[in-house]
Amino acid sequence: MAQMINLTLKVWRQDHVNDKGRFEEYRANNIDTAMSFLEMLDVVNERLEKDGKAPIAFDHDCREGICGQCGAVINGKAHGPDKGTPLCQLHMRRFRDGQTLIIEPWRTKGFPILRDLVVDRSAFDRIVAAGGYVTVRTGQAPEAATILVPRDDAEVAFEAAACIGCGACVAACPNASAMLFVGAKMSQFSHLPQGQPERHRRAINMVRQMDAEGFGNCTNHYLCEAACPANISVEHIAQMNRDYLRAVLKSKPA
Amino acid sequence: MAETFEHDVVVVGGGGAGLRAAIAVAERNPELSVALLSKVYPMRSHTVTAEGGAAGVIKSNDDLETHCYDTVSGADWLADQDAVEILVNDAPRQLIQLEHWGCPWSRERDGSVAVRSFGGMKNQRTWYAADKSGFHMLHTLFQTTLKYPTITRYDEHYAAKLLIEDGRCGGVAALDLRTGSMRAITANSVILATGGAGYVFAFTTNGAIKTGDGMALAYRAGVPLKDMEFVQYHPTGLPGTGILITEAARGEGGIMLNRHGRRYLQDYDLGQPLEVTDPRHPQNRMMELGPRDRLSQAFHYEREKGNTFKMEEFEDVDAVHLDIRHLGEKRIDERLPFVRELCRDYQGIDPVHEPIPVRPVVHYTMGGIDTDIDGRTALPGLYAAGECACVSVNGANRLGSNSLVEILVFGERAANTATEEAGELKRPNPDALRTQAKDEAKRIQQTLLNGANANGGVRPAHVRNKLRKVMEAGCGIFRDAGTIQTACDALAELSEQAARMTLDDHGGAYNTQLINALEITGMLEVASAMAHSAHARTESRGSHQRTDYPERDDAQFLKHTLAYRQEAAAPRIDWKDVTITRWPPGERTYGR
Ligand SMILES: Cc1cc2nc3c(=O)[nH]c(=O)nc-3n(C[C@H](O)[C@H](O)[C@H](O)COP(=O)(O)OP(=O)(O)OC[C@H]3O[C@@H](n4cnc5c(N)ncnc54)[C@H](O)[C@@H]3O)c2cc1C
Ligand code: FES
Repeated sequence: MAQMINLTLKVWRQDHVNDKGRFEEYRANNIDTAMSFLEMLDVVNERLEKDGKAPIAFDHDCREGICGQCGAVINGKAHGPDKGTPLCQLHMRRFRDGQTLIIEPWRTKGFPILRDLVVDRSAFDRIVAAGGYVTVRTGQAPEAATILVPRDDAEVAFEAAACIGCGACVAACPNASAMLFVGAKMSQFSHLPQGQPERHRRAINMVRQMDAEGFGNCTNHYLCEAACPANISVEHIAQMNRDYLRAVLKSKPA
Repeated sequence: MAETFEHDVVVVGGGGAGLRAAIAVAERNPELSVALLSKVYPMRSHTVTAEGGAAGVIKSNDDLETHCYDTVSGADWLADQDAVEILVNDAPRQLIQLEHWGCPWSRERDGSVAVRSFGGMKNQRTWYAADKSGFHMLHTLFQTTLKYPTITRYDEHYAAKLLIEDGRCGGVAALDLRTGSMRAITANSVILATGGAGYVFAFTTNGAIKTGDGMALAYRAGVPLKDMEFVQYHPTGLPGTGILITEAARGEGGIMLNRHGRRYLQDYDLGQPLEVTDPRHPQNRMMELGPRDRLSQAFHYEREKGNTFKMEEFEDVDAVHLDIRHLGEKRIDERLPFVRELCRDYQGIDPVHEPIPVRPVVHYTMGGIDTDIDGRTALPGLYAAGECACVSVNGANRLGSNSLVEILVFGERAANTATEEAGELKRPNPDALRTQAKDEAKRIQQTLLNGANANGGVRPAHVRNKLRKVMEAGCGIFRDAGTIQTACDALAELSEQAARMTLDDHGGAYNTQLINALEITGMLEVASAMAHSAHARTESRGSHQRTDYPERDDAQFLKHTLAYRQEAAAPRIDWKDVTITRWPPGERTYGR
């Protein structure tokens, strides 16, 4: 039956992009361990509102682990302590009575903090805009069999496409590298026939944009994979590097 | 000041319908500039949560005729058959188009596209990407929009009002949530693709963003809302949270059991069960694969007979079991990984070893903004598509997996019309539009932000919670004149309270409470259209079941309901004929 715990929260509060920001401390008493982490924040916010204080801004939507909007660093871990679990699916039973939780937004140059725990992840969009799509005009509906795709390839593409773009990989990486994200986005297409024609151009453009956004390089810490709520494998980084290398070699005049 | 941004076409909504529409405009006419507005970041749109898949005839053992018939009979003959034919004929092309844009559809062993069974569909025709179909569709569409430089995104912009001048729509007034400032986004054509309104009910699979905003925007502008009394209950939601367990669980062979372990659907004219080990199980259009309205109604009868069980941990709500254990761990992980994930996270059970407790939950709004088959509304310059619109292809009961194609087919179609007609009407004077946006900002400032109601005001959350309970109680799976009247009265009372809403947050940036307050006024209008439409339809059809009028009455009600808003009064209800082309109304039979 319902088990209640009391927590101390140290939450990053920042009013706008240019605000310096600070930690504020709140007591979160009588928290039902059956709640999700976001429900706990809802409760804290309700109490803050009652006291006439501004609620903690945080991003979320589906609360089912698919939209990629939630995210915060809890005691140094992106999305908290559970592997393969976004913040919205983290449950309070993971925490002990009397524990102190330090709750911060993703901190990286690529994601400016807009308010409290809300960050601007539009850098990711710009990377995708640089090539993460298929432009080949395939508007003519072919015969009903469509393109045959070997099941294994479809599965790798599917796994890569499972990336929810939350940005935890960047937040977890000591170099603030976005390579797991970019690798996944590229890999999705590299394994499908419709992604082949632009494969090289895509690799060059996306990597270039990634660098322009100020994300760092991968030095094989694998912390991204550990933090990823969609369990995206670092294999996709290797795939990306191979694609990129091949593309660069090809584009060099002989 | 209201900043003004001029475009040719404004699309309100970044879900499947909105993104598909934006792409269509960009492809059709690269000269036109498109504004794409969404109150949340597009990838958060509700389309992302769709699990099961999208219907389109692709296999040699299937045909368009059958898909049409399934849809029409599933809709209890209230769908417009010309619209259904368009939907069905265009569905395969749309799904192939998505494949070409990179959507990772699941595959059969031979490499061809895989399809699965879905409720009410006679043949297997539901394309899927495991059980994250909506996620992959939305991602694919979103990534595709990124390649068109003519599309300008306005993320986290809340459309608060349609700008109307010279009898035509010329843009929207939208609040930039990041700063709280009002912007006039003007255009020759406005396409509403704002999604459904399931959140007006207390127990729903719909997230808090599905507040029916677009319906309210159009309704206030004089456009009628059509068939609003038809609200779909999905038979399998998790009892505590309302989180959906996709119909694909039954499509893969899951069975429904009552308290006594009986496959109770056999008692409701849905056919006889086959053993789960029988290779012919599950049979399409039978038992667990009957349509949603009939399954949800069966639950209600089981509860009356005492055949459901109570869940202590959730205030004693009633539930039955959905059992997928016989599929085995391997198949569950391959086909329904997300179902397992959800059950573990939200119900604390593993469906590999235990049956899943479920109960019916509000899922989809069949009704919406009245449009013709090309997406036009009654207001020149205003178009609508997706769940917010009612074309209508869903009639009195939508079939699962039809809406993910509806958003594609009619998203594109509305966009094509909007593109063609973008140049036809004279563009309204931008100053007049800007003034309207400014007035809207002023109104919000005065009525909500200035704290005018500080004493004696009510909190938005209070109104919202009340409203959602009222709808659940008065307009649930079964209704009668009494329950509906009670709901109508309560809604009128709540509207008065809503006029006195008071906020604690008076700031600009990310003022969620303000947005909630704006949504609530819209929810009240939408709910009122639902309740009054339900009151006027004195028959039972599809998802609209009146215990005081249990029969379908084609003589009087083979008609669409149109609700017109009236200032400070109940809506005016009118009727419109259903288009019948090839399938005259017949008996709706399943399992026979
Ligand atoms: C849990 C779940 C599972 C489902 N599974 C299936 C399935 O398997 N198969 C199937 O066919 N259907 C399914 N459906 C139904 C289907 O997903 C929806 O009908 C469909 O996705 C609706 O798409 P849409 O584009 O019309 O709206 P949405 O995806 O809801 O998008 C609405 C958009 O409008 C924007 N918006 C709304 N109001 C405003 C405003 N005031 N200002 C600015 N922007 C605004 C939102 O930000 C959002 O971008 C499911 C539904 C749910 C809830
Ligand atoms: S809220 Fe959608 S992934 Fe967490």
